[in-house]
Amino acid sequence: MIQMDLTSLVLAAEASGEAGDAVLGAVLGAVIGVGMVVIGAGLAISFIGSKALESIARQPESGGRIFPTMVIACALVEGIALFALLICFLVVYWFH
Amino acid sequence: MILAEFNPIKAVVAVPLFTFTVAGHTVVVSNHMLTVTIAALVLLIVLPIAMRKCTITPRGTHNAVEAICQYIREDIARPLLHEKTDAYIGYIWTIFFFILTMNLVSLVPTDSMVTLATGTESRFGGPVTANIWITGAMAFVSSVLVHVSGMRRQGVVRYFATLAPKVMWPLMPLLYLLEVVTVFMRPFTLAIRLFVNMVAGHVVLATIIGLILVFRSYVAATASVLAAAALSTLELLVAFLQAFIFMFLTTVYISFAVEPEH
Repeated sequence: MIQMDLTSLVLAAEASGEAGDAVLGAVLGAVIGVGMVVIGAGLAISFIGSKALESIARQPESGGRIFPTMVIACALVEGIALFALLICFLVVYWFH
Repeated sequence: MILAEFNPIKAVVAVPLFTFTVAGHTVVVSNHMLTVTIAALVLLIVLPIAMRKCTITPRGTHNAVEAICQYIREDIARPLLHEKTDAYIGYIWTIFFFILTMNLVSLVPTDSMVTLATGTESRFGGPVTANIWITGAMAFVSSVLVHVSGMRRQGVVRYFATLAPKVMWPLMPLLYLLEVVTVFMRPFTLAIRLFVNMVAGHVVLATIIGLILVFRSYVAATASVLAAAALSTLELLVAFLQAFIFMFLTTVYISFAVEPEH
């Protein structure tokens, strides 16, 4: 998986000296960055979902308007998380 | 995806399929270009056939297409665009159905089917929206539509003058700069959102299938196939959702341009 690809990259980097340090740093930064972004996205989508659930529980007939709004908000948050994933991919393959 | 080596990125890149020469220029056709053509042909053939019979109570495909179009026009476009809905609804419907068709065609693993049928590795069809040029082209067309329609409705000078809302004069330059940056970034975020959602989905799918090669056991194969089936269901949801989000954000940007916010 991605982790094993990156591990093999890291091992190759360690074996190749100074240019390898840059790859190692890039890979480490990318992986830690993606982890942090996923924490943020998970928190955000959980907030959206729980608020939507609370408001539908308060007023069940408004569910038809609240549910699409929740879905749109979740997709936008996921878009932001995937922007960060794209940047991490770019960083790793730029230094490779 | 018969992977000789385990490289999930290969599942989403565009490869040239064949070339032809027209008027002295060589045109290289890649698998993504072929799939775009197939998706466009599917839309051009299926939609007019579905909408041909004008009955009062629609049935079948006519019903589905009309329900989707009705929902988009009444619940998404009309609250935002008010009386100017009919001018832009053609483009909004087109962008939704086109992106939806391309996303759904990307889910069909035609390259694996052709590989299994012919025995040699083939890349006949790939995930077409996992190509930044294709999503970028659609985002570019959307943003050109937004700016041109804004300039036509409000006049060129007034369109640029009213980009930022009116606040106290010390803040205006900063706010105007912020609005210009936002206006510039919108097509990029539209394109990248759709592109990265599709790439991430297909790369994870290819990774999970590739785990069968890594572990080489029946237990891992069962788990991988079940996980890939579940993930494909999620990919179906993401396909619909991303087409809807693209269309919805285009409508919102058009409404910002043609209806003065204040």
